[in-house]
Amino acid sequence: MKKFLALLLTAVMALSVCLTASAESLAGTYDITVWVAENAVSLTEKQIKDFNESNTDGIVFNATIEAVSESEAATQMITDVEAGGDIFCFAQDQFARLVQANALAKLGTKAAEAVIAANDAGTVAAATSGDTLYAYPLTADNGYFMYYDKSVIPEEDVDSLEKLIADCEANQKYFAFEQQTSAWYLASFFFATGCKSDWKTDDEGNFISVNDTFDSPAGLIAVKGMKKLVDSPFHLSSGSVNEFNSGAAVVVSGTWDYTAAKEILGDNLGATDLPSFEVDGKEYHLGSFNGCKLLGVKPQVDAVKAAVLHRLAQYLTGEKAQMERFEALAWGPSNVVDQASEAVQANPGLAALIAQAPYSVPQGQIHGSWWDIAKVIAEDVKNAKDEAGLQQALDNYYDKIASLFKLDTSALLFVGAWNGWNNADDTDTYYLKDGSVTLEVPQSDYMGGRIVTPGSWDSDKGFLQVTTGKELIQDLGDDVGDNNIVFLAPGNYTVTWDGAAITIAAN
Amino acid sequence: MKQYSDLEFLKLSRGQKFLYRLRRFLLSIPLGIGRFFMNLFRALGKGIAGIGRELGEIGSTFVHGDWKTKISFFIMGFGSLARGQILRGVLFLLFEAVFIAYMVMSGGYWLSMLPTLGITGPSEEYSEILDAYVTRYHDNSFQILLYGVLTIFFIIAFIYTWRVNIRQNRIAEKILASGKKLKSGRDDLRSIVDDQFHKTLLALPMTGILVFTVLPILFMILVAFTNYDGTHNGYTNSLFTWVGLDNFNTMLSWNVTGGAGSQSYAATFGEVLLWTLIWAFFATFTNYFLGMFVAMAINKKGIRFKKGWRTILVLTIAIPQFISLLYVSKMFAKNGIINGFLMSMGWIEKALPFWEDPTWARITVILINIWIGIPYLMLITTGILMNIPADLYESARIDGANAWQQYRKITLPYMLFVTGPYLLTSFTGNMNNFNVIFLLTGGAPTNPAASSAAGTVGYTDLLITWLFKITTGAESQYYLASVIGILVFVVVALISLVVYNVLPSIKNEEDFR
Amino acid sequence: MSEATAKRHMGLRASRAVSNTFIHVLLIVISIIWLIPFVCIVLQSFRVENTGPVGYIIPHQWGTDNYTRLFQTDFPRWYTNTFIAALVTAVLQTVIVLCMSYTLSRFRFKMRQPLMRFMLILGMFPGMLTMIILYRVLKDLGLTQANAVPGLILVYVASSGMGYYVSKGFFDTIPMSLDEAARVDGATRAKILYKIILPLSKPIVIYTVLTAFMGPWGDYVFARYIAFGTSAGKNVAVGLYDWLNKDQISNSYTMFCAGGVLVALPVTILFLFLQKYYVEGVTGGAVKG
Repeated sequence: MKKFLALLLTAVMALSVCLTASAESLAGTYDITVWVAENAVSLTEKQIKDFNESNTDGIVFNATIEAVSESEAATQMITDVEAGGDIFCFAQDQFARLVQANALAKLGTKAAEAVIAANDAGTVAAATSGDTLYAYPLTADNGYFMYYDKSVIPEEDVDSLEKLIADCEANQKYFAFEQQTSAWYLASFFFATGCKSDWKTDDEGNFISVNDTFDSPAGLIAVKGMKKLVDSPFHLSSGSVNEFNSGAAVVVSGTWDYTAAKEILGDNLGATDLPSFEVDGKEYHLGSFNGCKLLGVKPQVDAVKAAVLHRLAQYLTGEKAQMERFEALAWGPSNVVDQASEAVQANPGLAALIAQAPYSVPQGQIHGSWWDIAKVIAEDVKNAKDEAGLQQALDNYYDKIASLFKLDTSALLFVGAWNGWNNADDTDTYYLKDGSVTLEVPQSDYMGGRIVTPGSWDSDKGFLQVTTGKELIQDLGDDVGDNNIVFLAPGNYTVTWDGAAITIAAN
Repeated sequence: MKQYSDLEFLKLSRGQKFLYRLRRFLLSIPLGIGRFFMNLFRALGKGIAGIGRELGEIGSTFVHGDWKTKISFFIMGFGSLARGQILRGVLFLLFEAVFIAYMVMSGGYWLSMLPTLGITGPSEEYSEILDAYVTRYHDNSFQILLYGVLTIFFIIAFIYTWRVNIRQNRIAEKILASGKKLKSGRDDLRSIVDDQFHKTLLALPMTGILVFTVLPILFMILVAFTNYDGTHNGYTNSLFTWVGLDNFNTMLSWNVTGGAGSQSYAATFGEVLLWTLIWAFFATFTNYFLGMFVAMAINKKGIRFKKGWRTILVLTIAIPQFISLLYVSKMFAKNGIINGFLMSMGWIEKALPFWEDPTWARITVILINIWIGIPYLMLITTGILMNIPADLYESARIDGANAWQQYRKITLPYMLFVTGPYLLTSFTGNMNNFNVIFLLTGGAPTNPAASSAAGTVGYTDLLITWLFKITTGAESQYYLASVIGILVFVVVALISLVVYNVLPSIKNEEDFR
Repeated sequence: MSEATAKRHMGLRASRAVSNTFIHVLLIVISIIWLIPFVCIVLQSFRVENTGPVGYIIPHQWGTDNYTRLFQTDFPRWYTNTFIAALVTAVLQTVIVLCMSYTLSRFRFKMRQPLMRFMLILGMFPGMLTMIILYRVLKDLGLTQANAVPGLILVYVASSGMGYYVSKGFFDTIPMSLDEAARVDGATRAKILYKIILPLSKPIVIYTVLTAFMGPWGDYVFARYIAFGTSAGKNVAVGLYDWLNKDQISNSYTMFCAGGVLVALPVTILFLFLQKYYVEGVTGGAVKG
């Protein structure tokens, strides 16, 4: 009897396994909503039709395609994640907000592997928070460069910011370059002098650390260059090539404006990399953000629907679909095979972007508040009367960035590259929430810094809070002041703070 | 302070009268506060006594009532049904049934979750076969708060209805005891269109206001005591919960959190509030006087095409602001057509910073607001001007008064008297004038010193546009927006209170009849 | 007539003529300033050589392309949405406002004063934030996104009772003795409203209808929030405003202007015909608060 029961049980179990397996079949019709940019609506419609016809699993999508601007997708999703698009496209800067709102479904292991292999590393990083991949790279062309009117600007002047400004002023024409209205463009000056603002997120999209060097001697050079531009009565804080219609001779914008610019200026249109500016006899080539557009899948309550949506997402961001998008809309692909193709390499709109590429910085993850905080620099710079005023602008910025973490009582500040005395030449600052940060120590003598708890610069117990990894550092004690530490050997270290103790490990 | 008799008061000049009233008001504030608390205590005492009386009445109704009344304590409407008032009885019974069903099915749950606003957040599972993550949603703080409040509303309504039900039994018993007849269903129906007609008329509007105005405002006030924001949206990421007065402490604190270069929240709030008040003042009075002037100009004897001028001005009202204001905003841009025109005429060398310079921007929005406001004021004042008795002017003219004197002595006092309440509502309306600022400048230019933790604040931002920016900004700090909302209310209420007390002729509506 | 008085008359007439000429000139200037933006918008809508915003006013090439293109987009749908919303709102809101203001003007009941004070206080809260919760309420009723139009109507109408001031002011000007006479004749309250008060209230009814009809055309913030992410539920303001996004403005700016002209059309026409009543309504009521 017992045996029979066991047999029966096994049979039932086997049957149930069969049943589950067949229940996992993906075939069926799915009603979904897809959000894409207005001009991509008809192409996406066609691509989903192609997918319906070509897939071998019997998946049929009944898709409603809505035009939602990529720069608005996050705001719209966050209104109500439940009612948002099942698949939606968005510009990279909204990634962190979307992850925090839990509006992006993580990619499965296999899907993630495929995406990482097929796409440009910068775009994959843009879709990653911590170690988790949350979205599919869609394009790699979200950067900016310079359009200009050849009838106003002589060819030989396009490499110099000063000459461009002079040409504009002489002709009573405008130089359109967003500064007061957008941190995305404003960062250009800082990248020119080698400043950086690197942010790190954990797996849930929370920001855990920042290494920001805008407030530094290099940053001061950057704002001096910026002041030349924003002080000009013919500077216009706008990023639209339509300004060519309203008296502009130079517009800094991206590939998305190429067609419109061509239509306005015709043969007079010039497109090239950004110019250089000169401070104290040295030239600095303007940098840029190199961003991308991403495609995300909304978290689903039904596993099968989640699986088929990821299939579709993969298809829509695959080699073939990206090529179609390039052909129809001239969107620069993120897929490495497409990027290498001759057609892409030869595209005139992308050529200027490629010329700018050596000076560009991958956008990575940036705190949502940074955009608001950083764009204020331009306003401050414009109001500044002298060098002290410029420095004040940077200090204000620095304080506001610091406060993003100070608001959290568990924050920790780490100052690296300390010169050993109470001077902070060439200082990198890390604001560390619960989490860890990797830092590079290039040389051993007098390189190190101090670890403090927020708001207690005077009585820090930084060294004393290190529980693991004490052998890697040395406490300088009160000799050099404030329990500063130095790393004993150059190398790569990971510093972790869990709210109570610091762990240091060599990589 | 010297207290004037009526006669002395009348001898004062206009300015002195105003100052006198203002001083009287300010002096009366401490007294007023004292009186307020006295009244509060008295009301409280009255309330407690009232509740005691109510309870006593309920008790005595139960003790002395007949069996029908007694059963009605548990089965609402039983008494009415048993005494033949079918319509009333059925309604009471139905209400009780719905209430109980609701409380059992969901009300109890919402109420029990209200203290915590939910326990379990969403979770996630990975299916290896499908290579996909599935999300499971659990508690929804937002819904708990919303339906929790609704449930409390419902309970209050139930208690009230229950009380009415008991009182009706008591009254019915009395009427029957005195040998009279009870009202029939037909009588009830007739009273709906006659002596209870006001209740019928108010039923629908008041329900709408209750659900779509009172409930949301109550909810908004409650949000100020939670940590509801973009990272705690209450459902798809983290739940939100009660935080007490933390948000008010943040908003009203003078501690600088955004670093040395930036302001505290309180300072930023103060700055925005100051501009909001300046804006409301100028927006109201420039429109008022210029609108009156235009109306008088058009109405003047001997002016032709009166209707034509009016129609041209009225066009601004007819065309939606999101079209006209957006266009006007572009006209004033650095490379807009106005600067283009001025430069091509050679009147200016470089563009005027209409939107770039804080002071320019503030003046420009006020000027453009005149463009929007004059037509309304022109319409309103046209009618009133016609109502001023013509013989007043006639006799003034005979006395040799010139146009300015006529305006000072007749037109203006009359207008101010009649439009006093309008000016007040217009002032508070302008404080919350979202459209004009949002469509013209969006708050620009940015104020670099403003507190960073509250998003970007511009020099032309009003409290209401700032509130909107905080709501839709990167961090979606709903709780902070709702604190600002409450503070806006306090400011508006205070101003209204002062004006009501200082200006004569506003208080008594019957005066106008 | 003596010579002196004749001279004075002449002088008066002359000075009046001078001041009238001055006022005429002033009115012409004012009219030009007031009309420029509208003329510009209309001119832009007929520009075909370039579809983005430009720095000049007179089109180089004229045509109706923008209007024909407009009808290939979702614009007709948005227009219908808004028109329906405006029409239904106009009817329902008028009923509600009239109920409210008539009651508060004509009846003296215990809760009257507290009620009015309560609504005055309610009106002091900035309504902006409540859109989050209104969205949630409408969502639970299934009236968001594609079904946004009935949802919008519900919200417009439901809170309209608060705007009773103007029409209450108007009713206050109708003598109470009329009601009392009818009461003596045995008319019910309802009958008095229909038979006596309403016929006298044509201006205020038209004023209320007109303002209620105008509201939905310009609503942007709330309509956008309710209809988020769906083209089918948008109203004209939301739809047109989206065309000003940076990736669409080059292609859609002149269409935006054309759409704007079409939006302004019905309201303008109504205004031209009903202006007289509007003035009577607003002056009869607005000033009484």
